[in-house]
Amino acid sequence: MRIGIVCPYSFHTPGGVQNHVRDLAESLIQLGHSVSVLAPADEDEPRPAYVVPAGRAVPVRYNGSVARLAFGPISAARVRRWLSTGRFDVLHVHEPTTPSLSMLAVIYSRAPVVATFHTAMTRSRALVAAQGLLQLVLEKITARIAVSDLARRVQVEHLDGGGWEIPNGVAVSRFAEAEPLPGWPGEAGTVGFLGRFTEPRKGFPILLDAYRQVAARRPGLRLLVAGPGDLADLGEAAPAGTTFLGKVSEEDKARMLRSVDVYVAPNTHGESFGMILTEAMAAGAAVVASDLDAFRRVLDGGRAGELFPVGDAAALAGTLDRLLDDPARRAELAGRARQVVASFDWPVVAERVLEVYTTAIEATGGVVADLDEPPRAGSLG
Amino acid sequence: MWWIVGVVAVVVLIATYITWTAARVDRLHARALAAQLALDAHLVRRAAAATELAETLERPELQALARAARDALPEERELAENDLTRALRALPRPRNSPDLSDVVVASRRVALGRQVHNDLVRDALALRRRRLVRLLGLTRKHPQPRYFDVDDPILDEITVG
Repeated sequence: MRIGIVCPYSFHTPGGVQNHVRDLAESLIQLGHSVSVLAPADEDEPRPAYVVPAGRAVPVRYNGSVARLAFGPISAARVRRWLSTGRFDVLHVHEPTTPSLSMLAVIYSRAPVVATFHTAMTRSRALVAAQGLLQLVLEKITARIAVSDLARRVQVEHLDGGGWEIPNGVAVSRFAEAEPLPGWPGEAGTVGFLGRFTEPRKGFPILLDAYRQVAARRPGLRLLVAGPGDLADLGEAAPAGTTFLGKVSEEDKARMLRSVDVYVAPNTHGESFGMILTEAMAAGAAVVASDLDAFRRVLDGGRAGELFPVGDAAALAGTLDRLLDDPARRAELAGRARQVVASFDWPVVAERVLEVYTTAIEATGGVVADLDEPPRAGSLG
Repeated sequence: MWWIVGVVAVVVLIATYITWTAARVDRLHARALAAQLALDAHLVRRAAAATELAETLERPELQALARAARDALPEERELAENDLTRALRALPRPRNSPDLSDVVVASRRVALGRQVHNDLVRDALALRRRRLVRLLGLTRKHPQPRYFDVDDPILDEITVG
């Protein structure tokens, strides 16, 4: 199959959508398909062979954050050139409702379009104002994928459409085969946490509280923390035995997760999918997570990882104590986690995405369903 | 003199808009129809997979339901497909049974085809409701697309462990 994928964000800056597109493209190539990815990038920027640069992205303020986007006549020309040389059987765009390469590609595509919605984006004022024009873009999309139940519900409520849920994939082997950091996890046990610990909903203070209780009884216990930010911003001193790695690369993230005996996700709410849990599971750590819907689902109702009542530091401390004493139980959890995470492995997820491609091609009769010329770029202003 | 130019410009604009809307009506109906044909093919495929499974498991009642779904008249199709879905759901399912995998995949493809079909029908129906479209009878040559309204045909994923 000839597949064209559009990533609206530059690969230069790391991000969830970019990682998703990269892993998906590489998995599809491994499965023997011909894949071309169009993304904002300078000509001379280093990039994987399958990425076609669409010119530099400009920072745009949107919905309270800054997105680096490419949208305008020059981008439009590059999109059209890419589409006509690519002669794709199917076009797969990501986040097509923001003005971006993705939206341009949808407008100009003559192939069936599959769209993936990542964010649980609520209806913005700009979106309401442009609803009529947005409808023209949405009308060209044949099949819609949502990466989480939350993203799917947002689509139903705000974009008048359903969505086929395919969870984010995990490159299982990249995590399972990573080399632990030298000297970790050590004899006395290591507890790990990764994420924006300054965000209250991540629940990091709950872990600190539990860790202090457990560490008082277990000399030599260590806490390995990674994530953007500064420990000093927490407003409390980190307990003894804490090692802070700061913001880590994808590669070091895998190594960090391989370096812990127990991974803790003490989130108080939010988390639409729990990507980090599947990564910790792939790395073979025993997972302890707060009892949130999304986490319970990923952890197979508690069979592939321990759940504790949300916000309950004492319960978490008890669970940690038990697990650190019981390597057999940890191995059992890790074993089940390995089975569960296999269904999130990228090759498996890529097969599910291919089913959507096939459906989209079949649903357009295998041929172009667009009878008239697409509107000019200018009409979308 | 300028008012003539103005009137001509307005007329041209309106005519262009109507032509474009008519093409859009045709396009959305063509899409809904193509999606319906694709969904139909997947329903037939699921019935075939169910028939094969019924033969393997020696369950004549399942075979009868699969045939009923395949042969149903359009107005009875949804009920017949629901009956088949219920029968497939009720099957005792040993984990990871290879016999079942065809039916599980076929059911998933039906669910996916239905999702796509209903989305495209929704787009077409929204356009049909527009005043301009109704006023000018732009939908005259297209029968009204219908949602395919059945229970979710997805069979539980065969979970591990």
